[in-house]
Amino acid sequence: MATIIHPLALYLACALGAIGVALALPRPRISPAIFGGILAAAGAGLVVVLLGFAGGVEQLPNWAFYVFSAMALGGGLRMITHPRPVYSALYFILTIIASAGLLLILSAEFMAFALIIIYAGAILITYLFVIMLATQAPEEGDLEHLADYDTKGREPWAMSAAGFVLLGILTTMLFRGAGELPVPEPVDDTPVLAQLPLKVERELRIERVPAGGGEPFVLLGEDERLQREIAPDGDVLGRLAHEGRTFFTEDGRAIELPDDMRANNVEQVGINLLRDHPMTIEIAGVLLLMAMLGATVLARKQVELEESLKARQAKRLHDARTEREGLD
Amino acid sequence: MLSDVLSGVTLAQTGFPDLMGGVTLAHYLFVSAAMFVLGLVGFVTRRNLIIMFLCTELMFQAAGIALVAFGRYHLDLDGQTFVIFVLTVAAAEAAMALALTVLLFRRRESLSADEWRELSG
Repeated sequence: MATIIHPLALYLACALGAIGVALALPRPRISPAIFGGILAAAGAGLVVVLLGFAGGVEQLPNWAFYVFSAMALGGGLRMITHPRPVYSALYFILTIIASAGLLLILSAEFMAFALIIIYAGAILITYLFVIMLATQAPEEGDLEHLADYDTKGREPWAMSAAGFVLLGILTTMLFRGAGELPVPEPVDDTPVLAQLPLKVERELRIERVPAGGGEPFVLLGEDERLQREIAPDGDVLGRLAHEGRTFFTEDGRAIELPDDMRANNVEQVGINLLRDHPMTIEIAGVLLLMAMLGATVLARKQVELEESLKARQAKRLHDARTEREGLD
Repeated sequence: MLSDVLSGVTLAQTGFPDLMGGVTLAHYLFVSAAMFVLGLVGFVTRRNLIIMFLCTELMFQAAGIALVAFGRYHLDLDGQTFVIFVLTVAAAEAAMALALTVLLFRRRESLSADEWRELSG
């Protein structure tokens, strides 16, 4: 199996990336972050350009891929190298938005927006809050002060080398034979449509010509909800009888769905999630609940009252009680 | 293409081939692998606990892109469904990790991972 990039070029790119990342990691004194960033970008760019030569024009992703992946990798690099945690979190938000863009190109619209809402909207805001809560306030006139653990990395050179050896191995494996992978056959989404009776029904309310020719007719009138002519499949309620893209009514009339009628991404993900993985959703819910409980228990603060405060509170309660008993 | 995007057609419907070949898949897998390695390097080299947890999120993110790309190549939706669960685990992990971080900061006034050293026993 031929690899789509020459191994030596790949290892050279990985070495460039490793040196770049190691240079860009934070240092106590002057850090050559820009130089390191340029080197790392050159490494990544080399791989992407070589990948461009590997396939034909029809095997190239569109321009949006290059923009989003550059944003994602650049944001990721800056995230791990920025000495200030708040900026790291903000660069991570940039990475997330860029990855959402990548998912959009992969026609995963639902995941893209879920990613922005959950990650950028919820998780990262929590991170930002904790960063701001758990950072010492700078002293007067010392706004540039950085904590020691933020400016000194742990073994940047050794770890960059190890990480990029891993990347070299991973990419060698990924690129081996990738050029010979067959393009998969398109999958028919009519079974998904058959599980969306309302969507099909809405479509069938429009005037149609029967598949075999003849008088145009409206399969379902506006007020005929109670006398649906579409036959349920028998065993599953609401599943429509169909053969390919031709749907059947009870009295045998066949109706061809228009070509542009497709189940969209949200419908497909929803059906996949709820039909094929219902138990997993429950488990995910339990997991979130446990995490919530655990976080609350861990982070709660025990309030220690002073002895005099406790005594005063006890006296007030005692007085109130004797007063109430006196009234009775 | 830009006018298509503005007129309400999603990016997914413009300019992208209907079916994805192996080389196109390799592009996405390369971005995913590079992101994962960035997260790994960051996790080990940085000493600030919050940044370390951010790096794990970066690795989750990379895994998610690989899953969706494989799902797109095979025209299979299980990849996307799995990413939803990855998001769930990431959210749970963030909640626990941040609670622990707050706990540590309250005791030691520092976010350094070295403060946990005495846990090793």
